[in-house]
Amino acid sequence: MSHPDIPRVDAREKVRGATQYTADHALPGLAHGMLAVATIGRGRILSLDTDAARRVPGVRMVLTHLDTVGLQSAGFLLGGGYGFQSLQPLLGAAIAYRGQPIALVVADTLEAAREAAALVRATYEQDAISVTLDAPGAEILAQADSPLPKPAFADRVAGDADGALSAAATRVDATFQGPPQHQNPMELLATVAEWSRGELTIRESTQNAEALRHGLAKVFGLAPDRIRVLSPTAGGGFGQRNSLQAHTALVALAARELGRPVKLVVPRAQIFNNASFRPASRHTVRLGADASGRMVAAVHEIDHQTSRHDLFPLSYADLTARLYGIANFRGRERLVRNDIQTPGFARAPFEHIAACAFETAVDELAYALGRDPVAFRVANDAATDPLTGRPFSSRHVVACLERGAERFGWERRTQAPGSMRLADGTLVGWGVALGAYKAATAPAIAMLRVTDAGEIFVSVGGHEMGQGIRTAIASTVAVDLGVPAEAVNILVGNTGSVPQHLTAGSWGAATALPAVHKAALNMLRELERLAGNGPANRTFQQILRDAGRSHVDVEARHHAPGQPDAIFDRVAQGLPAAAGPAYPDFVSMSFCAQFVEVRIEPRTRRIRVPRVVSVVDCGRVVSPRTARSQVLGGVVWGIGAALREVSEVDPRYGGFVNADLAEYVIPVNADIGTIEAEFIDEPDPLINSMGVKGLGEVVMVGVAPAIVNAIHHATGRRLRHLPVRVEDVL
Amino acid sequence: MQSFTYIRPSTPAEAIAAMAGGGPGTRFLAGGTTLYDLMKLGVEGPLRVIDITRLDALARFDTSGPHELVFGALARMSDVAADRRLKEDYPALSEAMWKAASQQLRNMARVGGNLLQRTRCAYFRGGAPFACNKREPGSGCAARDGMDRGNALLGASDACAAVYPGDWAVALVAFDAVVDTLSPRGERSIPLAELHREPGSTPEVETTLAPDELIVRIRVPRSGAGRGSTYHKIRDRESYAFALTSAAVAVRLSAGVVAEARVALGGVATRPWRSPEAENVLLGQPLTEDVAQSAGQAAFAAASPGVHNAFKVELGAQTITDALMIARQRAEQP
Ligand SMILES: Cc1cc2nc3c(=O)[nH]c(=O)nc-3n(C[C@H](O)[C@H](O)[C@H](O)COP(=O)(O)OP(=O)(O)OC[C@H]3O[C@@H](n4cnc5c(N)ncnc54)[C@H](O)[C@@H]3O)c2cc1C
Ligand code: SF4
Repeated sequence: MSHPDIPRVDAREKVRGATQYTADHALPGLAHGMLAVATIGRGRILSLDTDAARRVPGVRMVLTHLDTVGLQSAGFLLGGGYGFQSLQPLLGAAIAYRGQPIALVVADTLEAAREAAALVRATYEQDAISVTLDAPGAEILAQADSPLPKPAFADRVAGDADGALSAAATRVDATFQGPPQHQNPMELLATVAEWSRGELTIRESTQNAEALRHGLAKVFGLAPDRIRVLSPTAGGGFGQRNSLQAHTALVALAARELGRPVKLVVPRAQIFNNASFRPASRHTVRLGADASGRMVAAVHEIDHQTSRHDLFPLSYADLTARLYGIANFRGRERLVRNDIQTPGFARAPFEHIAACAFETAVDELAYALGRDPVAFRVANDAATDPLTGRPFSSRHVVACLERGAERFGWERRTQAPGSMRLADGTLVGWGVALGAYKAATAPAIAMLRVTDAGEIFVSVGGHEMGQGIRTAIASTVAVDLGVPAEAVNILVGNTGSVPQHLTAGSWGAATALPAVHKAALNMLRELERLAGNGPANRTFQQILRDAGRSHVDVEARHHAPGQPDAIFDRVAQGLPAAAGPAYPDFVSMSFCAQFVEVRIEPRTRRIRVPRVVSVVDCGRVVSPRTARSQVLGGVVWGIGAALREVSEVDPRYGGFVNADLAEYVIPVNADIGTIEAEFIDEPDPLINSMGVKGLGEVVMVGVAPAIVNAIHHATGRRLRHLPVRVEDVL
Repeated sequence: MQSFTYIRPSTPAEAIAAMAGGGPGTRFLAGGTTLYDLMKLGVEGPLRVIDITRLDALARFDTSGPHELVFGALARMSDVAADRRLKEDYPALSEAMWKAASQQLRNMARVGGNLLQRTRCAYFRGGAPFACNKREPGSGCAARDGMDRGNALLGASDACAAVYPGDWAVALVAFDAVVDTLSPRGERSIPLAELHREPGSTPEVETTLAPDELIVRIRVPRSGAGRGSTYHKIRDRESYAFALTSAAVAVRLSAGVVAEARVALGGVATRPWRSPEAENVLLGQPLTEDVAQSAGQAAFAAASPGVHNAFKVELGAQTITDALMIARQRAEQP
């Protein structure tokens, strides 16, 4: 069954500016917070002078590490806890990175809070810092030897890659640098905290309301049921909102101490230096092909940054091992400890840059073999998963490549670099790359209610971050129950109902929709039972009235294939519980093929991207409109990541220097040409009842390498770092 | 950011009087897109702010005069950019506006304030812990051994190599614009070329204006090279970004050779940078691509690049070449 192309259910509010984001909440008696942050890269606070800050008229409180007795850290999301990092600022005098908060000022007005925060003075004892992969003092730790759980974070090995590589007829060896980048959701990180009779309400746009709730419970030693987290709509998440932020507990503490609600909207510059980001990474890729041109060996060695206080695990080779049917693969991953806040997930966190390193090397190998880059990829597709030997639940890589090539007009491409010039000397380059992303699944509970007034309410674990989960839920209920999508009232991101597991990793739809679908089928069954032998063709409303019922409630649960039911205990504790891509009987992934045209101006060498064709295998497309929108967004992210975005680091100071949206260069409309999205739209037969795999992240994967490959096609230059800027092609 | 007194006079004379009575730390406020930004960053902290946006007489501009174009200091960037006559007669002056900032900023910002925008050097804007001679005289220059991709290759000193970031002033300096001012000492006119100072040993002093001096208008003498002009800007994205390199060029051709040449550079110098070196290469020559290339190279002959900005020697020269090719086409149109 193909799903109707319904408009976004929240489009009207958004366009009218009626959608309420966190900062829009103005509660009676609201006080405003502002953080003061450390200016050193590492060390400790020797003294703090808050007198001047306290003297600013309207200032009600200056919280420092001397005021947080009894609080404890919520722990690190990937270390059994709930926070973006284990380091909770203001619990001690130690400074781990530039930008770590040293005080929270709260005042009657935002202006007073800002003025006072700037007046907080600290003296420090400073230590030497290392903030880049190669800096002296950066500690290197092999993930295989780290305390991170195995086999999840073991090396990825199939066959004998090194042996096969040395026997290979043709080899490529390339090292690729990935820069630190920030997610920069439009909505700033913000919190409104309010206490009432010992109960805490947090309004904060998040991808993980349950982690906020349980994290705050841990910080304050409170029962989780005394805490409510509301996140009806986030203005983008992209991984940065996946856990308890550094400031949230401090805002809650201030609200409790002052006995009035407190709001903090974190300025962009502070977010750069005190929230998660995409870490710098370095990739060495070695590929070998046999005499027939078949790829027989691949080695992918990766170093990436983590903080001194947490181990942010790597998962790059888990993707690259599965892009092709390469029998001998070895992935080795190492953590490099720097004096930074803990990095984290940013859209296609590992896959974007892993694919960039790998797919540029594959392109180089195709060229070394004199093969067309599309034909070479088609010829090297995988039949089964190289790492586990299991089948793929569905894999339409070849279809993505072939349909993309046709739509793009690939047959008109000439192979030689620099061979496709325009009359005015403009260089034209056409590039291709594959993308893939795990089809992960998290457990979800859905509750569905139909009332005798004809209303339909659905509540499910999931968060709306603008990706369109409400629309997909509405569409699912509408199709299943045969009602208009507008009739469906949706509650997500609210801990007052069903558990709100982390929405990330492109598992949102594959998590929420099967649960909703199951609930809808349960509802139909229940209504049929109530209808009994009564007259046919009655509305739900009539059936309920005739049965004397005000409403009917049903519930349904769904989890990943192979997960035990006990997994819902983890969900109830706010802990991550997603599975995939390797399930007991199969491996499930989404795939895409990206085709890109670049044009490089003859003299100034400006790089433009007039055209992208993206063909995606994400299983069934449940919500065509938001699906297309995901592709557009993913491609724009890819263009930004490839050609523009870098979080600049000055190794003398630590932190990030270009910490605002004027200087951190995300693309603008004028940078974007046409983007054509095409879907294979084949339901996956195994992964879930809806046949949906993930979409939101795979669409970014492959864009950057397709651009870098196109630049090679235009110029003959193999570039091995991002972003590629004008100085690289002059 | 700190509390400040806000005053909104309605005549230039009142504004001058308010400034005279204001004492040190008093600033004029036009659109606020530079001043408020720097106040929020803590880089500027005036105690008294004189909002001049109600000086309606200074909001007018006239691009139709026989001898000169006149822009009141409070004309909005967006209005100037949209002026049809300017687009036709002086495309460089119009394009320099269009390619600056964003529509939202252009709606707020005024042309007087535009001239006085301050550098984007990250260490200047970033505040503590960065050393910056411009922000805190004598503290040093973090950009020297740091991230200098955005810094100047021309007109820098040991103390500071911050780029003058604006676009319009670059186009204005190419056309020999003049700035009229008013102060308690009366009116005076300053050639735009003399408005901005090179950093020397006092990078905190950016202009030759006295602190109490109000820009009232900008005048541009009419030029035969107006129609043969363009403002070409290369940046990290195609809108809402400052120039990596830019060139305002204008040419008048006569009997197949360049009879009048105006070349100014942006993104690479500490002030709006006129290049007589490039102009001299052009004068009397047919405007071929080779000649344009030579002009571009000549403009950067004296460049002294740092660590991350050396590519701008080549990029800047190519920007000039491109601009000259566009200008030639326009100059050749009847
Ligand atoms: C994100 C961003 C991107 C930008 N991108 C660009 C760009 O690409 N190109 C570009 O050219 N510019 C760019 N700008 C700068 C923008 O053009 C300037 O901020 C704007 O033109 C300043 O005008 P204003 O009226 O807002 O000045 P204000 O901020 O009000 O004033 C600026 C300064 O001038 C003084 N002043 C103002 N008017 C007068 C007067 N009549 N007499 C004496 N002193 C006066 C003020 O005291 C203040 O010191 C950008 C700005 C931002 C914030
Ligand atoms: S270049 Fe100038 S503005 Fe930048 S840090 Fe150095 S002194 Fe400051």
